[in-house]
Formats: sequence, C-alpha cells, structure tokens
Amino acid sequence: MNWRRWLGRNDREANLERELSFHIEERIADMVRSGVSEEAARRQVRLEFGAAEQVKDECRDVRPARWAETFLQDVRYAWRNLRRNPGFTAVAVATLALGIGGLTAMFSAFDTILVRPLPYADPDRLVMVWDDLSKTDDRTKSAPAPAEWYEWRRLNTVFSGIASTQPTDATLSGDAQPEQVPARKATGNLWSVLGVKPLMGRVFNDEEDRNGVRVAVISYGLWQRRYGGSPDVLGRKIDVNDTPYEVIGVLPGEFYFLPARDIDLWMPASFPGWMRKAMGWHDEEVVARLKPGVTREQAEQYMAALSLEITAKDFPRPHRTIVTSLREDITGKTQTALVVLLAASAALLLIACVNLANLLMSRGLARGREVAVRMALGAGRGRLAAQFLTESLVLAGFGALAGLALAVPAMRFLARLAPETMGPVRLTVDWRVLAFSAASAIAAALAFGLAPALRGSRTGALDGLREGGRGARGSRSYWFQHSLIVIETALAVVLLTSGGLLLETFWHLRNTDLGVRQEKLLTFETPLFRYKEFDRRDAFLTAVLEKIRAIPGVINSGATSQLPLKVNEGSATFYWISGQPQERKRDQVALIRLVTRDYFPTIGARLREGRFFEESDRHSDAQVAIVNETFANRNFAGRSAIGAKFKFGNTGAKGYWYRIVGVVKEIHEVGMEEAARPTVYSLHEQGSDQLMIPPGGIVVRTAVEPASIVSAVRQAIWSIDKNQPMWRVQTLEDIFARQLTTPTQSTALMSAFALLALLLASVGLYGVLSYAVTQRTSEIGVRMALGATSGDILFSFGRRGLALTFVGLAIGLALAAIASRSMTSLLYGFRPDYLPIATIASLILLTVAVLASLVPARRASRVDPMIALRSE
Amino acid sequence: MASPKSDLPQGTLDLLILKTVALGPVHGYAIAQRLQQISRDVVQVPGGSLYPALHRLETRKLLAAEWRQTASGRDAKFYRLTRSGRARLAAETANWKRLSETVGLILGMAEGGAQ
Repeated sequence: MNWRRWLGRNDREANLERELSFHIEERIADMVRSGVSEEAARRQVRLEFGAAEQVKDECRDVRPARWAETFLQDVRYAWRNLRRNPGFTAVAVATLALGIGGLTAMFSAFDTILVRPLPYADPDRLVMVWDDLSKTDDRTKSAPAPAEWYEWRRLNTVFSGIASTQPTDATLSGDAQPEQVPARKATGNLWSVLGVKPLMGRVFNDEEDRNGVRVAVISYGLWQRRYGGSPDVLGRKIDVNDTPYEVIGVLPGEFYFLPARDIDLWMPASFPGWMRKAMGWHDEEVVARLKPGVTREQAEQYMAALSLEITAKDFPRPHRTIVTSLREDITGKTQTALVVLLAASAALLLIACVNLANLLMSRGLARGREVAVRMALGAGRGRLAAQFLTESLVLAGFGALAGLALAVPAMRFLARLAPETMGPVRLTVDWRVLAFSAASAIAAALAFGLAPALRGSRTGALDGLREGGRGARGSRSYWFQHSLIVIETALAVVLLTSGGLLLETFWHLRNTDLGVRQEKLLTFETPLFRYKEFDRRDAFLTAVLEKIRAIPGVINSGATSQLPLKVNEGSATFYWISGQPQERKRDQVALIRLVTRDYFPTIGARLREGRFFEESDRHSDAQVAIVNETFANRNFAGRSAIGAKFKFGNTGAKGYWYRIVGVVKEIHEVGMEEAARPTVYSLHEQGSDQLMIPPGGIVVRTAVEPASIVSAVRQAIWSIDKNQPMWRVQTLEDIFARQLTTPTQSTALMSAFALLALLLASVGLYGVLSYAVTQRTSEIGVRMALGATSGDILFSFGRRGLALTFVGLAIGLALAAIASRSMTSLLYGFRPDYLPIATIASLILLTVAVLASLVPARRASRVDPMIALRSE
Repeated sequence: MASPKSDLPQGTLDLLILKTVALGPVHGYAIAQRLQQISRDVVQVPGGSLYPALHRLETRKLLAAEWRQTASGRDAKFYRLTRSGRARLAAETANWKRLSETVGLILGMAEGGAQ
C-alpha cells in the first residue's frame, strides 16, 4: 500500500527492530563473554530489558505523526475485523444507515425550510403586524385596515418601514385567452421594506401608489408562461380587469411573498379616500422592518399601545396588535412539524445507537480472549479502547454513507413538507447536509462505541485467558446492558405514543364531516366583479348555471361567494340580533356567504331545522337567511333559531333585518386547520349589498368523472362572455386532500419512525436476552440438574425481559406525556384521548417485548442439562 | 505514556543521556553500559525507559542519529548531540546544580536545627 511508504513506516519500523535487537544481542554477547550460558543470558536480558513489543510501542508513541499512523493501522484492523463478521457488520451498518439517513434527511428539510434565509434583504428583521381580536368571535390574528396602516406608518417609531398589501382580483384578457391570475395590491414602499430588486425593469414607488398610476410588476412565472419570457414585455400595456396597466418590471424567479407563493401580479394599492378613513374595512396584510436595535417584543408592546390609542378615538372596538416574525407566518405549522419530526428521527438514531452499544457489548465479552492476548503482548488499555472506538467509527462511517444513499430519495419526499406560503423548495445534499451527516456519524460512534470500548478494554488479561473463558460475570455487569434496554424501550414508547396521537388526529381530520358530499363535486371560480350591476350579474350567473346544468353528466350546479374549505380568506361581518343591545355587535362576528338557491342541494348540505332557500324567496321582500349550527348554538342555545331576526353591523340603522329560516348542519367553510365559526348564508337572488363579495364560486355536482366536463363548462362560460375567466378548477376531494398534506406527511413519517423504533427496541431486547441465555447455559444446566423445571427457567428469563420492559414503559409514558404537549399545534385543535393511545402503544410494546423475551427464554428452558454440563 | 521505571527523579534520565552522548557519538547499548559503569551500578536503565527517551530526544531535535558500523563491524544507531542539545545540556546542568545545592542547603539546615 502506498500510504505506508508515504509515511516512511516500513523503514522506521525496521530500524526500530534493528536498534532494539542490536541492544539485546550485544547484551547477551557481553554476558556470554563473562561466562553465563547463552540460554540463561537470554532469559536475564528479557527480564531487565522488558517486553520488546511494549518498548517498541512506547518508542512509536513519542513520534510526532504517531496518532495518524495508529489511526490508519486501527482502521485497517477494524476493516479486517468487520469483514470477518459480515453478519454483524451488515446488521450494524443497516441499523446506522436507517438512523443516520433519517436524521440527515430530516435535517436537510429543517435547514432548508426553517434556517436558510428568506429571499429578502436581512429577512430576520422583517415582521408582520396583525390586529389582535382575541376578545371577539373573530380570529386572534386578524387583518388590519388600510386606515390603521396609515396611522401606524405616520406615528410609529419602531419600524424603519411599514408596507401593506391587499387582496384583489385580476383577469388578464385581450392579448390571449382570458386568464384569472393570483394578484395583490401593495403600497409603493413594499419593495423597499422587503429589500427586493426586480429581475428586469423597475418596481413601483410611493408616488405612483399615491397618484393611482396604472402600472404592474409581474412574476417570473407569469412572464415565462403568458409572455414567453420576452424582454419587450416591459412597457407593454396589458388588460387587467378590462383596464390597461403598463408592465414596468419582472420579479426574480425565487421571489415570493405572503399570503401565497403563486402571486403573479402586483399593482399599486392606491387606496381610495374612503378606505383611508374606514376603520371597519379589514383586508390588509402588513409587513414592517424593525429599526436597528428594536426587538420584536419591544415593537409588539409599542404597537399594542399605539393601536389602542388609534382605535380608541373613532372606532367602536379598541384593540391591540400582534407582531409576529415574518418567518413564523411563512412557515406556520410546518415549523412544529419539522421540529417534532427532527426530534423523532434523532430519537430513532439514539435507539439505533443503544442497540449497537448492546451488540458491541455482547461482542466485547465474546472477544475477551482476543483482548487478553493483545494485553499480554503489551497493548495498553488506552490503545485497546482507541482500537475499539476506531472500529465504531468505521462502522458509523459506512452507516453514514449508506444513510446518505437512503436520504437522497427521502429528501425528494420531504421537499413536499414545505408550506404553501413558501416558495418551492428543493432539498439537495450540500456541504451543510454532508457536514451534519458526518457529525451525526461521529456522535453516533461515540454514543454506541465509547462504553463498550472502555468496558472491553478493562477485561483482565488473566480473566480472558483462563480456560473455559466463561468469566464470572455477575448480575452487576448486566446493569449497563439493562439500562440500555430501558432507554430504548422508553424512546420507543415516546415515538409510538406520539405517532399514535398524530395518527388519531389524522384519522379524525380524514373523517371530519365537511357537511358536504365530497364525491364528484367540481368547483371553480369565475370572478364577477366585471358585472357591477346586480341585474347584469344575476342574468350572467343564471345563464351560466343553466348552461352548466344542460351539460350531459351534470346533476346540479350552484354558486357561492366563498367555496368551502377556504383558508384564511373568510369574509366576515359584525351582526346583532333583534332584541340585543346594539353594542353587542362589537364582539359578534360571523362569516358571511352569499349563495344561489341551488347551492345547498348541489353540495349535499343537510338541515338541522327549518328549510333551505326556496323559489318563492326570490320574489319576497323579506330578507331571509340560513345560519350554521355554530351560529345557532352560540346565540340560541337551547331554543330554536327559526324566525329570529338579525342585522349586519356595517349597514347601520338602514340595513335590512334578516329572518332566519333554516339551520344547516355545519359546512366546513374554513381550512381544515381552523375551528368552525358562526356563519350566515344569504340568498343571492334577493339582491345584495355592494360590499358583499358576489357568488363567483361555482359548484357542479356530476354523475360522471368531474374532470371530463371541465372543457364543456369552460365553453359554456365563454359562449356567454368570451372574456370571462375560469380558474382554480379542482374537485372538492382535491382541496380536501391538499389541506391534509402536512398532517398526512407528518403522520406517515412519525408512524414510520415509531414502527422502526419498535422493531429496533424488540431486536435489542431479543439480543440481550438471548445473549444472557448463551452465557448462562451451564448455570441453567446446573439448575435443571438440581431439579428446576423448564417452566421455572422460562419464568426466570421471561421475567427479566418483562421487568426491563415495564421500567422502560413507565419512563417512556412520562416522557410521552411531556412530548405530546409540545405537539399540540400539530393536533389541529383536536384533543385526542391520550390515555387510550398510550394504552394501545403500551400494549403493542408489551406484546412485542413478550415475544422478544419468549424466544430466548424458551431456548433456555429447553437446555438439556447433560449437554450443558458436558460443555463445561 | 512512558515514564522512567528507574528510581531516577523525573526528567533526570534525559539529562544523563545528554551528558553521556556529549562525550561523542554513541549507540544505545553503550549509553546504558556507560551509565551503569560510571554510576557504579546505581543507575540501571531498562530498555523500556532508555529507548523511548532516546527517541523522544531525537524527535525534539536535541539528539541526531545515524547508522554506522561498530568496531566489531555490526550496524548500530549512533546518537550525537545537536547544537540545541548542547545548549539544553548546559542549561539543564546549571539548573540541576542549583537545585541540588538548594536541596542540600535545606537538608543541612534541618540537621543544624535539631542540634
């Protein structure tokens, strides 16, 4: 081998040998000359000179490059040793590969999603500012009003910049097929607050925002998709909502910003005058950059006080604000999921290490004789321990390599854990991942190799060499292995219980009654803001729904202002009920949906009491409404809601009284992560107020596969209005499945970790017990010869395994109770019953433990005393 | 790792080796013999102490070594003092003298006190 020559090892070793043997030969020669027989001289010299090997070793130790050379030598020795035990090596490397691979893959997801900088300048100084409406029925983190933003921008002293964005509809038409694109309005300072530069052209500024200049900045995706990536898109006039806007810039491909990664069009907010004063119009998302030296906590305190001051003056509902870090809002629940999964994968690696420690320990005992021989030849304890540790390092190195091979495909799957609010994520094996993998391999090698190394090197030379080599190892020497079993059992219980909690939550989410028949329900949106007058809008909608119903395979069709399962986009309003004092409306908030008469039958909604909308309601002057169960329970606990009247808060004294005609069984209007909220449904056909969102969400119940009628539906719409777009075409089942992505994935991963943990823990228990049986075969023989029945032996070994399992179980259940608390946000407000889950997890573990102990215990009970004793 | 197994105080063996080598290039066996003869058999250096010490001094460049033939025609590793070895020997010798005088002084004073 070349490296030996490179180290000059051979020369040096030969010279050392020559030097020492010269000394010995000279000494013997001298003694022989003085009359001693050669044989006696040799013996004498050996005594006074010391063991030659040990002298050599001590001479080698003083050389400077000694450690590297020793290490290489140890690596070679370890390699030979591992090759000689292919079974052991395969098991160890596979175990480590699972542990290290899992942890490495989780780390890359964690690092990419939670640690890497976001695509803004100095992203950690960016915060979001929300209204705190926790005192009302509204969401805690609620959208601020443009009027609030004006005041905050004017008065605050904690932000170097504060910008606001607003939802808007954008239909691109004229130059190509009409296309509805995700769009957002933004105040002119958004770009400077985020510190984002366009890829091409420029972004709009405060002045353009103030003056209502019609300019637009487009996303890289839209530029490529609709404008073919052509540079002459700059300066082009495009039709947005039938109004020409000039494209002034293209954003870089990696840019994204809340509330969604796919926003294609940014336009100046140019708030109309009334909006600058209306404290009741809440539809903003506000982002701000902290001034140097100001912390998020300080900003939150300051802003809470400022907000109370601003809202106290002219607003019926004074409130504080909440300041969150931008990253927190972008990552959301994914953060908890990733932390929990990273912890779980670390626990899995720990279990793998515990198993290997056990395995090495058993092997260390079996290698007692080898150790003893090497000690007799003069190897020091330190050398032996280093040798054992090197063996562990070599194992861990192979484990890490195999683990990386496993991690790469796993990372492709984990990339899907990235939240929808974040730009698309690609997980790659870069130097950070490699460094982490190497570090975890070294940590693992120390974790599983250190104790066996120290212990193995402690074997006395005499003990090991003694004929029979049985070693009088009392129960004391098992305590270490036993505590390892307890540790891994405990960890397995924690993972099983956590996995069980996630599984039950997932099961619960999966089986949530959406209040809608999900099968074969096509949904899409066709924004109606181009139809400003009610009569035209109603005529268009009626015609579209009629045409859709005429398509073969369509059973029914209806429309709503907001499709079910809408995340974070509730249009809500204050209300008060007839007989209540007007002030009550301050804290009563309900979601509001404007629906056509056929909406409820189409989605398959069910009634709790009263009736659905009827044809006769259209011609009636009396406004009617249907409310959901949450609304009814909140306001009419214990009595019927039918016939009661309520009024919307923002309409003031001249608003209509709505009469409740029906209570519908809860329809899941909000995202799967959110709790049900009071909701009122009013009838589109009765005419509606300008501020209400028109019913542009269409639902189509089909008898055939929903995908097959999509183009027919598109033609139906275009046959009425060729500039009318149709977008977000998806079945309700798709929407539902996508919202369950995160829980599905975290549950699947956690369950996989838990099953692996269970497997490893049972293998560990089995290993330790069967080793004990092998070690004590002769003792068993004696006991049986003295009259113990095989039942006694079975019991005595089985009891040991079960005792260990119970200790581990107790510790594990305590830890699991703590762990489950840190997972609450992953449980989606659902409170799974901890006790049954823990009981099931315990039973599974106990069953596996019984099996794992029974096999070796049975073997012990079948020992033939004659054979056992003869093997002495 | 290696500590002198003789009764010599720690570090003394290095000094004695340096002194012995200072007289001229010499191999390990001769160093052991010479130390034993000069000290009238008081100092017996086992190989386990001598050779690690020699190698250590060589590593620190206080000694240099080369392979030469002995008078009897055998190859042996001969050690000689380097320049820094000579400096170290001078410093250590002075140090040792001062120390032994001081120790002698203290021991003498203790006897005087007892009278």
